[in-house]
Amino acid sequence: MGVSHSSKEAWERESRTDFWWRQMQEGFMNKSDFNWDQIKQLHQRFRLLSGDQPTIRPENFDNVLDLESNPIRSRIVRAFFDNRNLGRGTGGIAEEINFEDFVTIISYFRPLRSRRNKEEAEMYRREKLRFLFNSYDQDGDGIITLQEYRRVVEDLLSANPQVEPAWVRSIANSIARGALKEAARASNQPAEKGQPYQGITFEDFIKTWQGIDLEVKMQVSFLNLEAKALCQ
Amino acid sequence: MLRAALLLLLRLPLAGAGATEEPTQESRPLGEPPPGLALFRWQWHEVEAPYLVALWILVASLAKIVFHLSRKVTSLVPESCLLILLGLALGGIVLAVAKKAEYQLEPGTFFLFLLPPIVLDSGYFMPSRLFFDNLGAILTYAVVGTLWNTFTTGVALWGLQQAGLVAPKVQAGLLDFLLFGSLISAVDPVAVLAVFEEVHVNETLFIIVFGESLLNDAVTVVLYKVCNSFVEMGSANVQATDYLKGVASLFVVSLGGAAVGLVFAFLLALTTRFTKRVRIIEPLLVFLLAYAAYLTAEMASLSAILAVTMCGLGCKKYVEANISHKSRTAVKYTMKTLASCAETVIFMLLGISAVDSSKWAWDSGLVLGTLFFILFFRALGVVLQTWVLNQFRLVPLDKIDQVVMSYGGLRGAVAFALVILLDRTKVPAKDYFVATTIVVVFFTVIVQGLTIKPLVKWLRVKRSDHHKPTLNQELHEHTFDHILAAVEDVVGHHGYHYWRDRWEQFDKKYLSQLLMRRSAYRIRDQIWDVYYRLNIRDAISFVDQGGHVLSSTGLTLPTMPSRNSVAETSVTNLLRESGSGACLDLQVIDTVRSGRDREDAVMHHLLCGGLYKPRRRRYKASCGRHFISEDAQERQDKEIFQQNMKRRLESFKSTKHNICLTKSKPRPRKAGHKKDGVANPEATNGKPPRDLGFQDTAAVILTMESEEEEESDSSETEKEDDEGIIFVARATNEILQEGKLSGSHEVCPSPRIIPPSPTCAEKELPWKSGQGDLAVYVSSETTKIVPVDMQTGWNQSISSLESLASPPCTQPPTLARLPPHPLGMEEPQVPLDLSSDPRSSFAFPPSLAKAGRSRSESSADLPQQQELQPLMGHKGHTHLSPGTANSHWCIQFNRGGRL
Repeated sequence: MGVSHSSKEAWERESRTDFWWRQMQEGFMNKSDFNWDQIKQLHQRFRLLSGDQPTIRPENFDNVLDLESNPIRSRIVRAFFDNRNLGRGTGGIAEEINFEDFVTIISYFRPLRSRRNKEEAEMYRREKLRFLFNSYDQDGDGIITLQEYRRVVEDLLSANPQVEPAWVRSIANSIARGALKEAARASNQPAEKGQPYQGITFEDFIKTWQGIDLEVKMQVSFLNLEAKALCQ
Repeated sequence: MLRAALLLLLRLPLAGAGATEEPTQESRPLGEPPPGLALFRWQWHEVEAPYLVALWILVASLAKIVFHLSRKVTSLVPESCLLILLGLALGGIVLAVAKKAEYQLEPGTFFLFLLPPIVLDSGYFMPSRLFFDNLGAILTYAVVGTLWNTFTTGVALWGLQQAGLVAPKVQAGLLDFLLFGSLISAVDPVAVLAVFEEVHVNETLFIIVFGESLLNDAVTVVLYKVCNSFVEMGSANVQATDYLKGVASLFVVSLGGAAVGLVFAFLLALTTRFTKRVRIIEPLLVFLLAYAAYLTAEMASLSAILAVTMCGLGCKKYVEANISHKSRTAVKYTMKTLASCAETVIFMLLGISAVDSSKWAWDSGLVLGTLFFILFFRALGVVLQTWVLNQFRLVPLDKIDQVVMSYGGLRGAVAFALVILLDRTKVPAKDYFVATTIVVVFFTVIVQGLTIKPLVKWLRVKRSDHHKPTLNQELHEHTFDHILAAVEDVVGHHGYHYWRDRWEQFDKKYLSQLLMRRSAYRIRDQIWDVYYRLNIRDAISFVDQGGHVLSSTGLTLPTMPSRNSVAETSVTNLLRESGSGACLDLQVIDTVRSGRDREDAVMHHLLCGGLYKPRRRRYKASCGRHFISEDAQERQDKEIFQQNMKRRLESFKSTKHNICLTKSKPRPRKAGHKKDGVANPEATNGKPPRDLGFQDTAAVILTMESEEEEESDSSETEKEDDEGIIFVARATNEILQEGKLSGSHEVCPSPRIIPPSPTCAEKELPWKSGQGDLAVYVSSETTKIVPVDMQTGWNQSISSLESLASPPCTQPPTLARLPPHPLGMEEPQVPLDLSSDPRSSFAFPPSLAKAGRSRSESSADLPQQQELQPLMGHKGHTHLSPGTANSHWCIQFNRGGRL
């Protein structure tokens, strides 16, 4: 518990006066499916990350030591600042995000269990997939091109420290090609003639996910969040 | 009928047992000088034990075959039920014949020989990711559930006795009932596996029930031992510290067993790292060390089942990476064979053992009470635990899952073996317990085993869906794993994903480096693996499809008469020019562009593009006992990759959407084929319809040949029988080969036969030279490939290629290298013009390359060129042996032609 008791109180005091607090209490909590405890813990974490600033910048993520070894670290950090994920327009990167944005991003990973409604679950599934899609589609043109896919594969392959970069590059290319071809096959839509397959659109992307349970795949259990001291 | 045969077979050992008296009588007068060298001696006693073992296994296997003769029966009744019933019948016969119960399930045999293979099999092939994803639930059910079942059942039975519902003959106290409860409450891995493998519930449900049955062994062993020692001590002497010790031993036994397993897994992985030169012992190592783990744990009275499970689970990743492909197959098959064998024998012996009425004593109250309690408390326990677990699980287990879980708690041979092990002097009610256990085991295996399938159907339990992994999904899942780990990092929540990520990093940094071969861990990556497997699958299905496409699209097979005449002209041309004996006229056949040639060309290119080059014949150490030539295999793997990648690349470049669509269309059909092959393997005997194209053409050619050459025809049919080759592209070449063969026998005795110099036709249609031959071997094989399981299909094709690619004559394939065709070969629409495609890549002889006719892309490596060089020098007869051989061949061929 890196946050001391006094600062907690101070935070609660000031947060009650904050303008976002009312907003959160009214709508935000319902929307994000978090309970009060979780939001409190998330806020503690947010403050730790930001260094008691109102916003987080990408550099702040350098403090998370555990992230260092993640092969797709830059993608994940980027996803936190991606305007598409934040629901602000169709592209671009935000300079910094506030707590609300932070919770918005985290809420992509909330459990599915409370959503018994089928349509809602489907919508929710799309939402999660959209998040993943956005992390692939870096330029925001709505298509995962071969180049983009290849970079993803390279990132993933480089998780293994022993493999040689040259090998990774050569293999990543063919794997990405294979995957793209597979997606083209799965997309199964009559495309215009004479036009090579450009890349995976979001609809195709969803099709490649057919038959997979997302329920356990993109969820973090937030029941017992602990705000651990991470900066030293 | 078969059953009668089986029964006869069973009597054999008994007859043998009867016969044992003869040799003993004979051996009695041994004191006298022997009458001389005995011509025939009957030594049953010396072979009795192994003979009986072998016979029992044989009986069990035959029974399995009989059961599976009828699909209907096996789809309704689980095999375990049938085996138990068979055992009952056999036991009855044994009892009737021998007047005493024999061949029972001995606890020693069971624990030392029959159980380990099953547990090893299940541990080794356990889907580890799924297992660890559900580890929490599995552990809860295994530990808490077993404890709960033991105590509730034991106490309830004791209460039943106190209530006077159990006959007073059953002398048992609370401790005895707890002991009984401990052995009767454990879900049995063998029974669960046997039933659930046929039910196909979804993976999560399966892994929970099955994982529980494996892991609860530790709890069962501890409870059994503790209760047993308490009973032996007498309840009065049990101190408080003993209870504490009992609790402590739970941890010692379970953790100790797991630790032993992991240590042996480590050793095993480390050992297989150094077996590069002795590939042949790799499978043996796996079995030996796993068995050693089992025995060690058993010796230290730790949980042996846990040890083997952990050993299998832990070593798999590294062992699979280290050992060769063949060893992997060997391990897989041996493991499955042993496990299924042991399982069969266990169930059969269970049935036989139940017949022995001297062992058991019946008490209805106890039996019925036990049956009711184990069902009731199992259900209650599952519901309670699931309720708690669902508070934490992301995907809650719903009511249907709980029903299946509680109903799937089958008891089996472990309980039976444990109850047999009880000491009658210490546990006076042993006979009653034995009877109850037998009834419980039979009830769970037969009644529950029979009804669980309809129940699952009726409840509409989510079944397992066998979708093949796609590359995209594999990639996405990896991304998800990383994202989840990252989010847990960011949020500061050290949950499951966090620790899994940590473990993977540790594994990659240290463990894999330590335990994997350097060559293995360099390229060891799951994504890569999936890509690799998909590529191979594609290659196989493409090859399959290639034949399919060729016949189905009706590749303009020319009409009969024209083809005949054309073929004839070409053949006669060939004959004429070879009759001249001198160098062949290169221009004569070149002009002949027959339909068949074109067709051959198409086929050749198709094969060229879709197949890899067959392995070259290796003279060295091909039959060595300690050495399996490996590099050829690896070379092939590599090559199939290169080709595939090239093909993918090419087709990707030119991939238009419509092509993708047409390409993807045959796939489902193919899948249907495969499924058919799985469903009724007998159907594969009748060749798939796509073979018809080949057979038709081949038949035509063959008849044509028979007119010309009887000699070669006869030998060809002989060959056909051997290899099952019916192929059109080979026909002309076949004639040449046969002629050569017979010629060489007469004139030149040396086994080395020099292939004919390339004619113009060979240049254009390269399959007419030696390499075409090889391609043909391959192609004939493709008609056989019905990849039931990708792996097996692959292996089959590899092994049969191995045998096929080495032609019967000892001629070294000089032109074996087939450079991959640069064009994407998957478009069946265009292949007709491929024959005239100037870029088609053949292995051109260097001499021709000099002549400027080659397209300079046959980059045959140097040794090959050297190999080729003398053969090409036929023009000036610079080399004597080729020249003479050539002329011999020509003469011989000519003669054959005239005949």
